[in-house]
Amino acid sequence: MDQDLRAPREVLKQARHDLLARPYVVAAGIGYKTVQGRRQPTLSIICSVTRKVPSAQLSPRDRIPPAVDGVPTDVVATGPIRALQVRTGRVRPAPGGVSIGHRDITAGTLGCLVMKDGRPVILSNNHVMASSGAGRLGDPILQPGPFDGGQVPADQIAELTAFVPIRFREGPSTCRLAGAVAAVLNAIARVLGSDTRLRPVTMRAGENLVDAAIARPLRDADVDATILEIGAIPGVARGELGLAVKKSGRTTGLTSGEILQVDVTVDVQYGGGRVARFTDQLLAGAMSQGGDSGSAVVDSGHRLVGLLFAGSDTTTVINRIEHVFTGLGVTL
Amino acid sequence: MTRTIREVKAQHEAGLMALPGVVSVGVGGGPDGTLVIVVGLDRPRPKTMARLPQTLEGYAVRVEVIGRIKAR
Repeated sequence: MDQDLRAPREVLKQARHDLLARPYVVAAGIGYKTVQGRRQPTLSIICSVTRKVPSAQLSPRDRIPPAVDGVPTDVVATGPIRALQVRTGRVRPAPGGVSIGHRDITAGTLGCLVMKDGRPVILSNNHVMASSGAGRLGDPILQPGPFDGGQVPADQIAELTAFVPIRFREGPSTCRLAGAVAAVLNAIARVLGSDTRLRPVTMRAGENLVDAAIARPLRDADVDATILEIGAIPGVARGELGLAVKKSGRTTGLTSGEILQVDVTVDVQYGGGRVARFTDQLLAGAMSQGGDSGSAVVDSGHRLVGLLFAGSDTTTVINRIEHVFTGLGVTL
Repeated sequence: MTRTIREVKAQHEAGLMALPGVVSVGVGGGPDGTLVIVVGLDRPRPKTMARLPQTLEGYAVRVEVIGRIKAR
């Protein structure tokens, strides 16, 4: 095992710039070559590549030679190498934009901190922190989320405090319990008191305004009031057509877009055949992927505009922050 | 045109959403800055597209294939 590193090191030192200049190569170092899953005893130059390409598709000068000055080489597909995954790791204090989740889900994004009864609470989606309504108040919220390795109790950062229930669409025989439910929702929607003006919203039975939940940190020192790559939130703003927005999320990081549609009514798939209809939503272009749910959406002045919760390959759907604040009884 | 696009959209929305493949109805901007009603489809749907009106009470209706929307 204790082979002399000096010779391969010297070779690597001479060859590394040439190797890194070749297509797909992102790193070169010294290690043990692996052949058919078995580690070989000789030290080799290991070239990490974004992806493996058959030699036939590469010109001879672009190929990694089987050996350099007598030192064997190995090619390992690592994909692109990024800076340490801050967003999917455990972070304390945790800012907005990092992985979070109820113990029964995969992972979503910690949106930002808001105030509830004079104390800071974590804002994200119901389907991230309350398991789409299956969670119970007091359930542990993990940072990072379970998919990113978060475990109970070591990574518990908060406990579920409140969520707005999601009304899922049932079969075609729904519209019976109509009136009463719609009246209640409209009453909620009309309540003023958050920082933004709230227009009355026409809602029908079984429709939703938000996919939102809050969780109280176990210790206030475990959370950070800023958002990764965005910073502090100075206030709230109303989402209007054409507004430039950005978000900071667990999966795709900082992305920007534009509000392309307002007053959107949209059917959203929640897995297992469950569909929920949302109304008065904001719609932006492709600025999110799975795991970005719960991201705070802000305008160019970093004012809070909405809560990201759904999308397709081409589309991102955002709850209006005024409905989120009203539904949960929170403020900035 | 006495009614606002929001009012027109609100009135027709349920009927539009009931058509096969319609996943969203919203208000967007047209190329000339006018407001249009935007109908989102889960995939290209010739039959549904044939049933969609070109305008609703004077407001243009634009169809976009936006795919199935999933909670993420």
